[in-house]
Amino acid sequence: MDLSALSEAVIQGNIEKAKELTQQAVDAGEDPQILLDQGLIMAMDTVGENFAKGLLFVPQMLRSAKTMQECLAILQPHFQAGSVTSKGKIVLGTVKGDLHDIGKNLVAMMLEGAGFTVVDLGVDVAPEAFVKAVSEEHPNIVGMSALLSTTMPSMADTVRALSEAGLREAVQIMIGGAPVTAQYAEEIGADRYAPDAGSAVIKAKKLVASA
Amino acid sequence: MKLLSEEQIETVDRTARRILDEVGVKVLDENVRDRLAAAGVPVQADERVRLEGPWLDARLQEAPCRFTLFSRDGKNDIALGSGRCHFGNGGRVFQILDMATQGFRPTLLRDVANTAALVDRLEFIRFYIIACQAHDLSPAHYHRNDFYQAFARTTKHVMGGVDSLEGARQMHALAARIAGGEDTLREKPFVSVITNPISPLTLDGESLRILEFCGRKGIPATCAPAPISGATAPATLAGTLAQLHAEALAGVALAQFLVPGTPVLYGAVASTMDLRTMNLAIGSVETAMINTCSVDLAHRYGLPIYASAGITDAMLPDIQAGFEKGVSNLMLGMAGADFIHLAAGMLDSGNSIALEQYVIDNEILGMTERILRGIRVSDGTLALEAIARVGPGGNYVTDEHTVENMFEEFFYPTLAVREQYDRWTELGSPTPQTKAHDWVEDTLRRSELRLDAALVEDLRNRFPEIVDP
Ligand code: B12
Repeated sequence: MDLSALSEAVIQGNIEKAKELTQQAVDAGEDPQILLDQGLIMAMDTVGENFAKGLLFVPQMLRSAKTMQECLAILQPHFQAGSVTSKGKIVLGTVKGDLHDIGKNLVAMMLEGAGFTVVDLGVDVAPEAFVKAVSEEHPNIVGMSALLSTTMPSMADTVRALSEAGLREAVQIMIGGAPVTAQYAEEIGADRYAPDAGSAVIKAKKLVASA
Repeated sequence: MKLLSEEQIETVDRTARRILDEVGVKVLDENVRDRLAAAGVPVQADERVRLEGPWLDARLQEAPCRFTLFSRDGKNDIALGSGRCHFGNGGRVFQILDMATQGFRPTLLRDVANTAALVDRLEFIRFYIIACQAHDLSPAHYHRNDFYQAFARTTKHVMGGVDSLEGARQMHALAARIAGGEDTLREKPFVSVITNPISPLTLDGESLRILEFCGRKGIPATCAPAPISGATAPATLAGTLAQLHAEALAGVALAQFLVPGTPVLYGAVASTMDLRTMNLAIGSVETAMINTCSVDLAHRYGLPIYASAGITDAMLPDIQAGFEKGVSNLMLGMAGADFIHLAAGMLDSGNSIALEQYVIDNEILGMTERILRGIRVSDGTLALEAIARVGPGGNYVTDEHTVENMFEEFFYPTLAVREQYDRWTELGSPTPQTKAHDWVEDTLRRSELRLDAALVEDLRNRFPEIVDP
């Protein structure tokens, strides 16, 4: 089966068209694994390359990622349980006292686009709320965002709270936000810092691989 | 300066009113929602409040069109709604550039004091906004201290954000003591407060509580939306403008609902996103365009505006900083904005300041004010008599007409390089940056307290939590 039309729809970020083509292919009895590998993932590789070359803007990339997610939802029931797994799970939130969420939302969208499952705790998230989410969701990574230099200490508090709850070893911790630095990540015992959403995805992949 | 016709402004306004009526604003405070519902305003289960035209107009009509942001010595009073433009600096950054090393460090309480001292001396920076976070202060008495340093170093009007209602109380108690009582402060408020809605279309509880507190105490305030075109607002200038206008009107209307007649500025802090990378582009030309148009939208309702200009994404006081600041300052000035913040000291998309940048911006603002003063045309300035007196082939250098007019007619920059080449090399090839640096060093060395000794003693006794920077 020729999957170029499907790939093209994903690259274009044409959600309706891509869903329709995926459904048609599934109905025609096409192997979902082939649809995934040669239709969706290959399309996203092209999207990633084009973005890196500066040919695509962020909203275009995010739309393609969303298109892929929607197609994946159609494929999901046709796989035996467990054979399509997410790249990893990340619990993400803006720390206590901080209401800035544009950067955090961007990180969430890019991670989802890259195949991660994101549990977004929103803004003003207290250390206890991170602890609760980790014990319930069992993520690979905890991501924290702070845009205020005054709320950064809450990142340290959260790392400590996770240690006290005995959960620190179970997760990798990644932090970011304009005033946050790599040095600060080291100081508070977080595993990684990423300066922007693009590098957050790369680092998240590495963290999951290294765990 | 007009980028939109009367008709286009009307269309944007109509769209904003539809947003408020049909989409509504989220009010994240149960108490305020209940009070709105009791007043007959439609409140939905999803915390959205719909502001219908007649209710909106009735609230906006209660907002004062003219009021004054006072200075402490009466020399720099800011008459809002008078048609005059006032530029000032912006806050509250977290790092400062050290020009000598080109390195950045987290800001401290002494940076609040130093920036206030500079603004006090810089003529065209007409008010002082608390410039930075004081990372060496504990949260418990934070706003007692950052406002204290501001008052201690400048007599110009002081504006600042407060982190909480408690912070607003600390600031108010301090200012009332300096004024000699709550009533004196209410009569001539020399301090005002910044709050922000959260774009798109959301108002949080603490901001509303702070607005209400300020209203009750007669402290002027703004509730200034900061939508980012392409991120928290549509990726079109008209769409961002419509949403911004809706948010700004909602801020004014809610402030009036909480305390009718309270002095509040329509706020506009629009910016754009660079959609190639999702970096903030606060120095973009579209940022300047949106903020320019917001002036007409505010003035359509006779409301004075807390507008934005003079911002840059540049890291250093460099060429990019110069052109981004120059363009937007001039546009907002020519649009007739009442009160323009962010226009001094800032770099790095609003994350950093540099002391030298205050001096450089003062010069850009001096040029801008000169343009706004316009060209005097009269018999005297047309100078027919002088032209006849000098006649063909003469010169004007020593003519009395020159001496009579030269002070008022020209703006005399102090940083721009105008020396001739030989003199310039003799002086060590100075640049505006090096001249600004020298001026900063000299000014800070000689700066004095702007509170008299007895008052300082009284304040330190009364508020023992005040610390030295
Ligand atoms: C928009 C904005 C707001 C909006 C927020 C709207 C929203 N929904 O988020 C509003 C108007 C509500 C707001 C409010 C306030 N703000 Co504000 N705000 C900003 C502004 C202009 C832009 C922030 C932004 O969205 N940037 C764009 C995004 C895409 O970038 P980003 O957040 O940095 O995210 C990227 C990276 O950092 C990274 N990243 C982010 N999070 C994470 C997480 C992880 C895990 C990883 C790996 C990476 C990562 O990836 C992102 C994408 O590339 C900044 C100035 C600036 N230039 O940053 C000030 C700024 C952050 N705000 C500031 C202040 C002071 C405030 C207020 C206190 C104002 C006041 N009243 O005085 C309030 C605080 C409210 C609160 N309790 O949080 C200061 C902070 C100073 C400080 N002490 O640190 C700044 C620097 C502005 C200033 N100079 O005053 N603000």
